[in-house]
Amino acid sequence: MWDHVKQALAESMTRFLTRLANFLPGLAALIVALLLSAILAWILAAIVRRVLAGLHFDERLGGWGFSSLAEWSPMNSPTRLVSRSIGVLVIISGFLIGIAAFDFDWTYLFVQKVFAYIPDVLAALLVLLVGNVAARFLARSVLIGAVNLNLQYARFLSIGVKWIVIVLTVAMALEHLRIAPSIVELAFGILFGGIVLTLALAVGLSSKDLISKSLERDAKKASTEPVEDPLRHL
Amino acid sequence: MEETTKGLNVEAEPTPQPVNPTADQIGSADLVVGVLTELDSNAMAKMCEALRTLPGPLRIAVLRDDPQKAPAPVNSETTQERALVFHVPSLFAKPSAAATGVLGMSETYQSVFAAAEKLLARGCCILASKLEAATPLWAWRIAQPLFEGQADLVLPHYTPHKFEGLLNASIIAPMLRALYGKRVNNPMGPDFGVSRRLFQRMLATGAGGNHLHPLASLTPMALCQNLQIVEVHFGTRIYPAADWTNMSSVLANVLAPVFVDMERNAAFWQRARVSVPVPVIGEPFPLSPDSSVVDERALVESFQLANRELQEIWGLVLPPSSLFELRKLARLPMEQFRMPDELWVRIVYDFALAHRLRTISRDHLLRSMTPLYLGWVASYAHDLTLAGATSPERRLERLSLAFEAGKSYLVSRWRWPDRFNP
Repeated sequence: MWDHVKQALAESMTRFLTRLANFLPGLAALIVALLLSAILAWILAAIVRRVLAGLHFDERLGGWGFSSLAEWSPMNSPTRLVSRSIGVLVIISGFLIGIAAFDFDWTYLFVQKVFAYIPDVLAALLVLLVGNVAARFLARSVLIGAVNLNLQYARFLSIGVKWIVIVLTVAMALEHLRIAPSIVELAFGILFGGIVLTLALAVGLSSKDLISKSLERDAKKASTEPVEDPLRHL
Repeated sequence: MEETTKGLNVEAEPTPQPVNPTADQIGSADLVVGVLTELDSNAMAKMCEALRTLPGPLRIAVLRDDPQKAPAPVNSETTQERALVFHVPSLFAKPSAAATGVLGMSETYQSVFAAAEKLLARGCCILASKLEAATPLWAWRIAQPLFEGQADLVLPHYTPHKFEGLLNASIIAPMLRALYGKRVNNPMGPDFGVSRRLFQRMLATGAGGNHLHPLASLTPMALCQNLQIVEVHFGTRIYPAADWTNMSSVLANVLAPVFVDMERNAAFWQRARVSVPVPVIGEPFPLSPDSSVVDERALVESFQLANRELQEIWGLVLPPSSLFELRKLARLPMEQFRMPDELWVRIVYDFALAHRLRTISRDHLLRSMTPLYLGWVASYAHDLTLAGATSPERRLERLSLAFEAGKSYLVSRWRWPDRFNP
C-alpha cells in the first residue's frame, strides 16, 4: 500500500518536474524576449523622437490640420505619442515572440490569431487616418467657402461635415475590425441619419429669417432702380 | 514653308478662307497680333488700317478665333510706308475645362507666342480687354514701341478709375514694384506687346518644365532679365463686373501664379532695393468724373464674420501681432473701420510666404485671404469717400510706398520663417 502511494507521489513529482522543466525555458525565453524588445523599443523610440524633433513634427502637424492631436498626446507632444506608440508596438511584438516559445497548443493558436488580425488592424488604422485627413480637409473647405459666402452658420456647417465624415470613418474602421458588426451598422445608420436630420433642421430653422429677409430685399430691389456695384476687382 | 504653316494650327485644321491670304501663303511675319477680345468686323478693319501705318516694310499677321468676321485685306504687298496685314484663322489654344480664369487665359497667350515663334515674328501683340474709348489705335500703340523703341515688353497704362482693377491696385502692382524695383501699373496686362527675345524666353522656360502663366510671368521675367519695359497710355479699360459668389476663386486664380513666380525669382528680388519708374509713351487720357459709392457695410461684415470663424486658419499663416491687430480692427464700429496699409502689406507678404512654405493647402490659403482683401477694399473705399479725400492715385501711391517699406519684413520672414515671427 505504502509502496503504491510512494510510487504515485514519485510519478506525480516526475510529471510536475517534467512539466516545470518544459515550462521554464519558455518562461525564460519570454523574459528574455521582453527584455530585448524593451531595450529595442527604447532605442527605436529615442531615434524616432530625435528624427521627428529634427523635422519639427509637432509644428508641422499643426500646419497639416492635426493640432488637436497634441491634446491627446503625452506632454502635449505628438512626437512623444508616435515614439511611444512605436515602443509599445515593439514590446507587444516581443511579448508575442516570447509567448510563441511556450510549446503549447493554445499559445500557438493565440499567436496565430493575433497575427491574422494584424492586417485588419492596419487597414482600420489606415481608414481612420485617411478619414481624419479627409474630414479636416473638407471641414476647412466648407468653413472657408461658407465664410466667403457670408453664411453666419459657417462654423456649424463645417463641424457637421467633419462629424459626418468621422462617423463614417469610425464605422468603416469598426467594420474592418469585425467588432459587433450588426450593432455598428445599426448605430451608424441611426447616428448618421441623426446628424443629417439635425443639420437639415438647424440650417432650415436658422435660415428661415434669412430667406424671408432675402425675399423682402429682392421684392424691394425689384420695385426700385437697380444700383450698379461699382467695384471691379480683376 | 508649308511645314511651318501646318504646324501653326494648334487646335484644328483651318477652314479655307478665300478672302485672306491663307496660312499656306504666310511663311513668315514681322508682327503677330492676337485678338482675344470681341471685335466686330468694322473695328477689326479699322485696327488693321491703323496697323498698316506702322513704318514698313512689315508683314503683320492678325490671329483671330473667328476668321469668318475677318475683313478682306486692303493691300497685297508691303511698302516702306504701308505694312501688309493679313489674317490667320483659328490658332488659339482653347483653355482646357480644368483651367479657368488666369490659367485658362495663359494657355491662349502661350499659343499666341507659339504662333509668333513659328512665323518667325520680331514681336507680337495681344489685345484682350475691351476699351471704353474704342479706338483702332490700340494695336498700333502697343506695336509701335516694339519696332521703333526697341522695347521688349509694352505694358498698358489704363486710365485709372477709383474702384476698378482693385486686385491689381491693392496687391499685384504695388507688390511687384516693391519686389523688382520698377513701377509698372498693370503688370498683368492683359494687353501686351512682346518682343521676339522675350516671347522666346517665355517659350523656352515653359518648355523646360516650368509651369509659367504668361499673364503673371511676363513682367517678372522681363524685369529679372533686365529687358526694356515701356508703358503706353491706353484709355479706360472696361473691367468685367464683380462676381461676388466666385470672389475667392478669382483671388486664388490670380494670386497663385503671382506667388509661384515670386518664389521662382526670390534670388533676384531679394537684391532689388529702391523702385524707379518705367518710361511712359503718350499723353494720359482725361479722367471722367466718378461719383460711384461703395456699400462698405457688406465688405466689413464679411471681414468681421471671417475674423470670428477663420482665426484657426489665419493663425497658421499670420504672426501673433497681425492677428491681434485684426481682432482689434474687427471690434471697431463701421465708421471707424480702417485697415492700416502697413498691416495689409504684412498680411500679403505673410500669405506669400505661407504659399511658399505650403503651411496649409494653397487653395485654402488663398481663399481664406478673400475676407482680408475685402476688409482692405472697405478701408480704401472709406478713405476715398471721406470729405476732402485724397485722389485714388495718391492713395495707391501711399500703399505702394508701404509695400516698399515692408519689403525688409518680407525678406526677413522669407529667409528665416521660423526665427523671425514677430
